[in-house]
Amino acid sequence: MDSNNSDRLFRFPFSLPKLHGVRTVSVYLSGIFYALGFWVFLDAALYSKHSNASDVHVTFIDWIPFLCSTFGMLIVNSIEKNRLLQGALSNDGGISSSFGGVDEAMAWQARSILFFGFALLAGGLSGSIVVLIIKFLVKDYTSYPTVGMGINNVLGNIFILISCVVLWIAQNIEDEYSYSLTL
Amino acid sequence: MEFKVSPLTKIISLSGFLALGFLLVILSCALFHNYYPLYDILVFILAPVPNAIFGGRSYGSSDFMSDSSNNGKDLGHFFTGMFVTSGILMPVIFYHCQLIGSVSCAMSMIGGLIIYSSIVIFSWFFHSSWDNEEDNLFG
Repeated sequence: MDSNNSDRLFRFPFSLPKLHGVRTVSVYLSGIFYALGFWVFLDAALYSKHSNASDVHVTFIDWIPFLCSTFGMLIVNSIEKNRLLQGALSNDGGISSSFGGVDEAMAWQARSILFFGFALLAGGLSGSIVVLIIKFLVKDYTSYPTVGMGINNVLGNIFILISCVVLWIAQNIEDEYSYSLTL
Repeated sequence: MEFKVSPLTKIISLSGFLALGFLLVILSCALFHNYYPLYDILVFILAPVPNAIFGGRSYGSSDFMSDSSNNGKDLGHFFTGMFVTSGILMPVIFYHCQLIGSVSCAMSMIGGLIIYSSIVIFSWFFHSSWDNEEDNLFG
């Protein structure tokens, strides 16, 4: 991996983008995915309200998985990742052992809230699949413009999950970057 | 920058551009007597707001030990991406739900993009002129 001629990694005039740029772009990408999920789901709701020929409609039941995914994403991404890191370090009995008790309690809280957030995300996705199966597929609404409302629900939740994953990865990139800077 | 454009020319041409965007969106509403695409203007005007709030000053370069400022910047980027995609997707979804026609969909989408790009280019000129001013002050 030597890059001695004009500090370039490849032979072509082409370079990997900087970490900072990757972080910004992936945060934008996460926002784009979230909006995609939101509008794909809202498409189902508006379609059901305004131009629905069948007798099955989007009700509050269909909104519950979307709300679960959104709250899960909010919880998962509003946790300081440094708390988890501190907990790992104090578990090893390493650097920050001077205030180990506080760190332990904090890390435990962070882990349990993080678990709650991931459970909400997974519950949102599986709930949308359950709504698709119970409300549409079991009752033989399998032709496309009707079953599209259920499929849009599942797609919206998948997009929100992708957005959450991208945002998580972006924040972890940022953590490694700042860690190497502070060391 | 080889050729200098006077700031007044920039501002006048950008305002014309912005007015063209508003014209397209309002025409897409008024031609079909269907005022749903006006929401698109609202979304595209809201789109640069989070970046302007969170990313205006760069605290991050001054002290990188605390990442709270970076979190704020991330929030701004997230909401900007969300609003821009919402503004692009909203006419498509309205068209799919048969609330507006296809011509109205295309016109409101292009008009909204013109509004957003003119706002972004305006803030870009503004920031670059600030930088030049600082360089002139200190150099």
